[in-house]
Amino acid sequence: MSRALWLPGLPPLLACIGLLVVWDVFTRAFAIEGLPPPLEALRQLPGILTDPEALLNIAASLKRMAIGFVLAVAFAMPIGLWMGRSRLIAAAFNPLFMVIYPVPKAALMPIIMLWLGVGEASKILVIFLGVSLPVVYHSFQGARTVEEKMLWSAAAMGVGPAGRMLRIVLPATLPEIMVGCRTGLVLALITMVTSEMIARQTGIGNIFFTALDMAQYNDVYAMIIIIGVLGFVCDFAFEAVRRWLVSWADSPHTIAVGSA
Amino acid sequence: MNAIALRRTVTEALAGVVPVLCILVPWYILSAGHFVPPALLPSPVDVFVRFVRLLGDPAFLHNVGVTLFRLFAGFGIAVVLGVAIGILAVGNRVVGAVVKPLVRVLAPLPKIALYPALVLTLGFDHSSKVALVVADALFPILLATYQGAASVDPKLVWSARAAGTSPTRCLFTVVLMAALPSILTGARIGLVISCIVVFLAEMIMSTDGLGQMLVKAGRTFQTVDMFVPIIAISVLGLALNGLFNLLSARLLIGFSTRS
Repeated sequence: MSRALWLPGLPPLLACIGLLVVWDVFTRAFAIEGLPPPLEALRQLPGILTDPEALLNIAASLKRMAIGFVLAVAFAMPIGLWMGRSRLIAAAFNPLFMVIYPVPKAALMPIIMLWLGVGEASKILVIFLGVSLPVVYHSFQGARTVEEKMLWSAAAMGVGPAGRMLRIVLPATLPEIMVGCRTGLVLALITMVTSEMIARQTGIGNIFFTALDMAQYNDVYAMIIIIGVLGFVCDFAFEAVRRWLVSWADSPHTIAVGSA
Repeated sequence: MNAIALRRTVTEALAGVVPVLCILVPWYILSAGHFVPPALLPSPVDVFVRFVRLLGDPAFLHNVGVTLFRLFAGFGIAVVLGVAIGILAVGNRVVGAVVKPLVRVLAPLPKIALYPALVLTLGFDHSSKVALVVADALFPILLATYQGAASVDPKLVWSARAAGTSPTRCLFTVVLMAALPSILTGARIGLVISCIVVFLAEMIMSTDGLGQMLVKAGRTFQTVDMFVPIIAISVLGLALNGLFNLLSARLLIGFSTRS
């Protein structure tokens, strides 16, 4: 019994069931209009997941999210590493990031839409902005704490600055970069949903709000469940990749926390 | 030595201005040289003037006040709940066993997806926005509290227990205090998250607040007015962050400055 409880995945599963039970009890006890019992919402799931249009919307959203995420990592990681190794570069970029940090990236959506239109480009750009900050921050923090002796040894053996960056700083920082990427992944999902809520055209956010406008509350809750599962699956998959890439480092035991 | 340190500080401060100028100067040239119609990109001078002028406008101040109220209400509740649950999860094994998997499921969930549900159940007014801020700010605070409290030196607790403190009192007088640096780090992340979330909630569905100002300006293509709320939330975030740093420096007197 006690060993079964520690099977991987079982406690979160129990937590999910617990949440559904609490939700059910809540609806029975208070009967709030606009809060259907969980079974009603779950019953909508097969309908949404077999509807080709809904699936196309979800796929389009995921594609945007993936493109934005990959571009952001490719752009932010070098900047973060460079900031970590050069005091001058760090001093140059820090104030800029400090100013950008409290601005909700999805709030730039209306302005970016003016320039790039309501299409793919503006949504990808917003996701890109949202993911970049945590990746820069964690690469910066990681690169700052690389063991100096390793760099000196490499320099003594004749490895040039670019080689040191690529062969020492990058691998040594990889665990910390992965933490940043994990936060970034959660942020990508959040920014994606939010940007689609603000500029409704296609995607998950669009299905969501169309259902809300038409007062199909069961569909609204079904979408919340789908987005929640999506977040959990992304996080789980990334954790598997991370463990495979940096299995040599101690796992930091952090749970991804997202914000927009 | 001192002169070198001074020169270094000055150089670094100057270096910090460069990227900001790299954005502001092309922005100014593009708009002042009429390369871009002002309806798409207003001049930074216009935006700044408008921002300063609005600071005296009661309607604008009302919106800022509403946003700040929601922000602080949500952040306050999140701090109380997050610290309490985090400490209890460390102090009590049953609470810990319940809380840990729940956090694992709920933390990566995009909380903004709950917003329509919150609007449906709690209504259109303050409470749905405050609830969303709580949902988003809670987890960084809870996790930081949990991690801080779990890594408190057991010798501190043993000494207090040996001196006759009850286990419950120990939790609040020893563990809570020893976990303070970690809790404050979590709370700072939570504060910035609150800033962001309150703005987004107001953008998606609201009748007042800074976020709604932005959406309203966007609908009527008042580009200058679209930039003002964004600058306002950035300034607000910076100011709150600064205040929080002052407060935590004051609270952490006597702690070794680890990071």
